[in-house]
Amino acid sequence: MTIISAPAGSGKTSLVRAWAGRPGQPRRLAVLQVQRDQQDAQQFWLALLDAVRHASATTGRAEPPAGTPDFNAPAMVDRVLSELADACGGVTLVVDDLHELTSPEALAQLTRLLTNLPPQVHAILTTRHDVRLGLHQLRLAGELAEIRAADLRFSERETRELLDASGIELSAAGAALLHQRTEGWAAGLRLAAISLAGHPDPERFVAEFSGSDRTVAEYLLAEMLDRQPPDVQDLLLRTSLLDRVNGELADLLTGRPGSEPILLDLEDANAFVESLDPGRTWFRYHHLLADFLRLELRRTLPAEGPVLHRRAAEWFIRQGQVVNAIRQTQAAGDWADAARLLADHSFSLTLDGQAQTMQALVRAFPPGADHPELALVRAMGDLAQGRLDEAAAHLAVAETYAETTPPDRRRRLGVAIASLQLALARRRGHLAGVIEQARFLASPVTGQSDEDIALGNDLRAVALMNLGTVEAWSLGLPDAERHLREGAVLARKIGRPYLEVGCLAQLGFAYIFHGAAMPKIDSFATTQRRCREAIALAERYGWGTEPVIAPALMTLAGTMVWLGEFDEGERWLRRTERALQTDTGPDIRLLLHQTAGILHAGRGRRQEALEEFGAAEDLASQLEGSQALASQMTGWLLATQARLGMTGEARALLAALDDERASSGEIRNARAVICLAEGDPAGALDALHDVLDVTAPVLGYVTVVEAHLLAGLAHRELGDQRAANQAVERALALAESDRVVLPFAMTGSAGLLEALPRHQTAHAALLADILDILHGASPAAKEQSSLPPAEELSPGELRVLRYLPTNLSRPEIAGELSVSPNTVSAHIRSIYAKLQVRDRSSAVRRARELRLLAAAGRTR
Amino acid sequence: MDPAPARYMIRINGHLGATMLSAFPAMAPQHHGAHTVLTGLLDQSALYGVLAVIEALGLDLLELRKLTPDRESPGSGHHRSP
Repeated sequence: MTIISAPAGSGKTSLVRAWAGRPGQPRRLAVLQVQRDQQDAQQFWLALLDAVRHASATTGRAEPPAGTPDFNAPAMVDRVLSELADACGGVTLVVDDLHELTSPEALAQLTRLLTNLPPQVHAILTTRHDVRLGLHQLRLAGELAEIRAADLRFSERETRELLDASGIELSAAGAALLHQRTEGWAAGLRLAAISLAGHPDPERFVAEFSGSDRTVAEYLLAEMLDRQPPDVQDLLLRTSLLDRVNGELADLLTGRPGSEPILLDLEDANAFVESLDPGRTWFRYHHLLADFLRLELRRTLPAEGPVLHRRAAEWFIRQGQVVNAIRQTQAAGDWADAARLLADHSFSLTLDGQAQTMQALVRAFPPGADHPELALVRAMGDLAQGRLDEAAAHLAVAETYAETTPPDRRRRLGVAIASLQLALARRRGHLAGVIEQARFLASPVTGQSDEDIALGNDLRAVALMNLGTVEAWSLGLPDAERHLREGAVLARKIGRPYLEVGCLAQLGFAYIFHGAAMPKIDSFATTQRRCREAIALAERYGWGTEPVIAPALMTLAGTMVWLGEFDEGERWLRRTERALQTDTGPDIRLLLHQTAGILHAGRGRRQEALEEFGAAEDLASQLEGSQALASQMTGWLLATQARLGMTGEARALLAALDDERASSGEIRNARAVICLAEGDPAGALDALHDVLDVTAPVLGYVTVVEAHLLAGLAHRELGDQRAANQAVERALALAESDRVVLPFAMTGSAGLLEALPRHQTAHAALLADILDILHGASPAAKEQSSLPPAEELSPGELRVLRYLPTNLSRPEIAGELSVSPNTVSAHIRSIYAKLQVRDRSSAVRRARELRLLAAAGRTR
Repeated sequence: MDPAPARYMIRINGHLGATMLSAFPAMAPQHHGAHTVLTGLLDQSALYGVLAVIEALGLDLLELRKLTPDRESPGSGHHRSP
């Protein structure tokens, strides 16, 4: 790593360019120019990723980097690192003007990037002043080179070489004088060279310069400007208030055509103007020149400033460059207009990944001035930072203000406010009532102009996502599904992939429980498919570990655990944790602990499970209302306590529950577990009665599966093996369509399953799989990779395969499947051939190793 | 940190012309030999703002001093009155 730290005009950028462009330089070059006063971490990282991807030539394999409203900085650093690691050959990564980066978050993550660079990457940073990066490790390891102002100063000999190279004839004494006066300062020498080129009397110029007491920068900048023709001077002054300028914009600000050739000439003359794109259409001025010109403009044409800013703002609005337009409107002093622009575009800017830029724009308003429009924008910032009380207060101000606006704007503001109220309610867990107030969100926003419609569509898609999300979390499933689907379709139509991913991720979550006491066909498989589709879409945009996809990641992890695929579930859970590392909301973290809890419980690690359930319960107590899955969570906590012998604690908690909660199927099951732990199987059966006859409300049929198993345990305790067998058979029958394993693991039903005579069950394959999992042989997952791949079985063969572990004969299997015995025999021959086995028992063993039995129940 | 504004003296190498001086509207300029001395009442954030401008304009900062109420002359020492 190399740091070049030296004042303005020391020649840092020129040095890096010359070095990187030297002949025979074999490395790929990724250059990031940090924007002026960059306060937005996400914009910085997106630009850096873009530069790296261009250099590593890996573009085309995914969508270009796109912003998100909830930026996951650590995941972004991982992305940049993996792009760098994938780049073939060496890469030089240049970050120019690092001092302009004022986001502490971005600097902290940059330190992580720089201390973890792959060996073939060389990073070069340029900065005007030392920036606080934690690089002492690199320094100690001798991996850090520093170039400072003294190293960059031109020696007298170098000064002469520069003048010679510029074709300037100056005596040795003149060159020495120039060197002395500029103290070898690169910008001074280059400015002098520009003025000296074509000067009638170079010696006199140097003598006058040398005799002046004025600062080097001002003397030479003024000289250079004076020597330009009037129209060029005018162009430079009037366009100096832009960070970047093109011909069209310069024509607009000067009121004359023909600006582009002037800009091209200035760049060709090396006159502190440089183009930013290969087509040379956008230009920027060297910071020193730009700052000087701005001062000169304000001093010599004071009345022109606001006029020019307004003209530039209008142009930016027409180009859809909202941030630039707002900056220029602010600079013009039109604060009320700037506030309205910002409020109107706040949702779209957030979706564009400019949330932090937006908050920086809010901070640029003069303190004390009251712009009620900004309350909406402030509320969004508060929500993003988890300052929920402040967000509520700002929303209240915004609501009062909205009532004073004309009807068309009032409607739009109303949608924006309601949408934020929903987001706030979700984070607080305060779902009761908000949905009713927000129903109107589902109807379309009308608008006049194209821009109105575009803003309206953004708003509406966000509103549908927020509404559907809250509905999913409060188990209003049909509404949730409708609104999230509609939101996803609209998001796709208007090109907002973030919202499409968000809606699909929440849809995945909405499906894990469906409130039915009987399983639908393959509901877990359907949920998994939805989640995987949402995740695939997110990955296309590089959002595979962003908070937006977390609900789908978590749901996928959860379903894996339910199906007994604990290792796979753990992998997805780890990824969910990474996606949520920047999220502060208790609502989704609660689910994270809950899923970790069932994973431990499934593996029989009850103490760890208890800790996770306890952490989830703590988070739940931070929420104002009760969350959708509360009865399940509390049920698991109670049952785990009881199984660990903490029946006293469990009883105390149980006694504190309100009647509604206590009468849910999940809590009744937990009561049964407590009774069993207390040696009261009759009490357990009593507690389970309403769950078994499906009169108690349940979150899903899995609660009923669990109730049957608990009943089985109770019957066994009471010495009624026949009733125990019947209970287990009922549990297996319910579990069969999804092949749900978790309730068997959590209730400790291995003994029950083993006691069930094989000829008494119609679910022998599932039973065998469950026992495999309960005995810790997570079916062949570990050996899977070492086995030769088997030719894929057809759906018909898979259906037959499922019956091979049973005691059913071929004609009996044919009867079960309503096909002819010949068909079954043909399928079995084909199965043997494809699995490369000779008999039924080795076919079953091989199929289990390949996890074909588990998959058979869940094929498409 | 002292929240009250205080009088600061900033010494810069060379004479600042009208353009450069317009960047320091809150400071009074004086030429001292080949240097420019700017004095003004600044709070901490204004002070850091002035330093950032000096950096951005490529000026050569020679000296920065907080002046005590009874000894305002730029040439005086840096004793603080109790």
